[in-house]
Amino acid sequence: MIAYLLNLATLATVFGILAASLNLLIGYAGIFSMAHAVFFGLGAYAGAQIAMLLVPDVLLACLAAAAVAGLLSLCLALPALRVRGEYFVVASLGLQMVAITVFSEAHAVTGGHGGLVGIPPATLFGLNIGDPGAFLLVCLAVLALVLLGIRVLMRGSFGRSLMAIRDSESAAKAFGKDVPRIKTLAVGLGCALAGVAGALFAFYMAFVNVESFTLEQSVLVMAMVIIGGTATLAGPLIGVLLLLLLPAGLSFLTFIPPTEIGAVQQFIYGLAMTLLMIFRPAGIAGLSTGRR
Amino acid sequence: MQGLLSVRGLEKHFGGLAAVQKVDLDLQEGVTTALVGPNGAGKTTLFNLITGNIVPDSGTVTVAGAAVTGRRPHEIARLGVARSFQDLRLFGRMTVRDNVLAAIEHGAWFWQPGGGAARRAREAAVESALERTGLSHLAKARAVDLSYAETKFLSVARILATGARIWLLDEPASGLDLNSRNRFVALVREAVAAGVTVCLIEHNLDIVTELADRIAFLDRGAKLAEGEPAAILRDPELIAIYFGERRP
Ligand SMILES: Nc1ncnc2c1ncn2[C@@H]1O[C@H](COP(=O)(O)OP(=O)(O)O)[C@@H](O)[C@H]1O
Ligand SMILES: [Mg+2]
Repeated sequence: MIAYLLNLATLATVFGILAASLNLLIGYAGIFSMAHAVFFGLGAYAGAQIAMLLVPDVLLACLAAAAVAGLLSLCLALPALRVRGEYFVVASLGLQMVAITVFSEAHAVTGGHGGLVGIPPATLFGLNIGDPGAFLLVCLAVLALVLLGIRVLMRGSFGRSLMAIRDSESAAKAFGKDVPRIKTLAVGLGCALAGVAGALFAFYMAFVNVESFTLEQSVLVMAMVIIGGTATLAGPLIGVLLLLLLPAGLSFLTFIPPTEIGAVQQFIYGLAMTLLMIFRPAGIAGLSTGRR
Repeated sequence: MQGLLSVRGLEKHFGGLAAVQKVDLDLQEGVTTALVGPNGAGKTTLFNLITGNIVPDSGTVTVAGAAVTGRRPHEIARLGVARSFQDLRLFGRMTVRDNVLAAIEHGAWFWQPGGGAARRAREAAVESALERTGLSHLAKARAVDLSYAETKFLSVARILATGARIWLLDEPASGLDLNSRNRFVALVREAVAAGVTVCLIEHNLDIVTELADRIAFLDRGAKLAEGEPAAILRDPELIAIYFGERRP
């Protein structure tokens, strides 16, 4: 039971980082990326490679993962700057599909469909933090740092610039904001943080393959952010807890045959998102809608 | 004489429609100019061309003698050209205070240049803009929750705080009640007295008479006339166009 709870808590923490990083794009910058799992994956592969080839140091792996995911996020920034709204959603979908092909074919780096096996247990400054309790603490510390960083940035001028662009891009320009640069920076930061989540995920699973970085994963993370509440600190975390606990909870309902749990889950997610958009479009933790 | 802001031979076509045709316009320093003309005359498009929102087919725009044609909107804004939008374009989900603060933060990095002193100066500019527009008590309200008149004043507060030398106001007083309208007129007068060069698009000819030193009359993309308000508003042909009696 303890092992089960530790597992759930660690996954929730990793997904908490991932959802918080997507919230930066969706909630604050108004960039609806359907390719977030790609950057989660890039970070996971980068972290795993560092651990397997160099040293399994969490800090180093996270930094490398952030760098790789952050740099390659330019692939996402480019369409984000050129096209808006639904066109960007389609462009990011395309990126997600291209990335899955690359992940599946680039055997040398990603291990192809078989994935990367045998990622060594994590260390931190030479200390072994491989046991589940210690690793959970490290993940929680990273989550806390990420949330603190996002809070400070979003309460400052950078956050105001992002939200101004989200609410009216033309007005933001008319008031002197260099919109392409600010958006690129936001995409880079959001994707770098997704990379960090990916590196932690790789250590935790000790194995990564392309299955974890598919469109379904991108959709799941987006659902976490939207259901929990965009542009709030707590929203994505609430979304993570709900969507991770839901399958766990359902498995206790013995009257549902195990083979049907997936379908029931899909049904509940879908219904929840539809109802939320109707009754509480800003999400569970979001502000209630204004008069208009 | 070339104005503080000067437009020469500006043209813009949308497909087959000549939205702005060979327009010359000079905003002389300290002179308030009203752009008057029927709906669809090209007034808003002219603002969009000046501020870099739309790239002209031909013609030039200069600000204080420097050519800005083809420059990006944020670069033109930083030369001291502030504008409002006919549909306001407030930062809806942000607070009133953050709407104004965001309008004067230009750094694209994670922080603003200038350190604490610059930050305090920005905060003071925001407080003063909110006070002068009567929005101080609403500083923490979100823009979407404001009343109509309040949103109009917020769009002026954003401009006020920038300290821009040139204001381009697109129908800023439309739909205001009498009291708000008078406050608005006083606000613009204060700005002009403080040295701001104003160009406003306005349908209410009373407000035009109260504020404008000059009128430029636009119709179907072309500037038909320019001069003192009294002269323009006495021209029966222009008035006929303005009130919708089309020429053959
Ligand atoms: N982005 C655009 N694309 C196509 N046509 C436009 C665009 N903007 C304005 N127009 C057209 O140009 C003409 C002038 O519009 P506008 O400048 O908004 O007029 P005004 O502000 O004087 O009422 C109108 O016929 C309008 O429909
Ligand atoms: Mg107009």
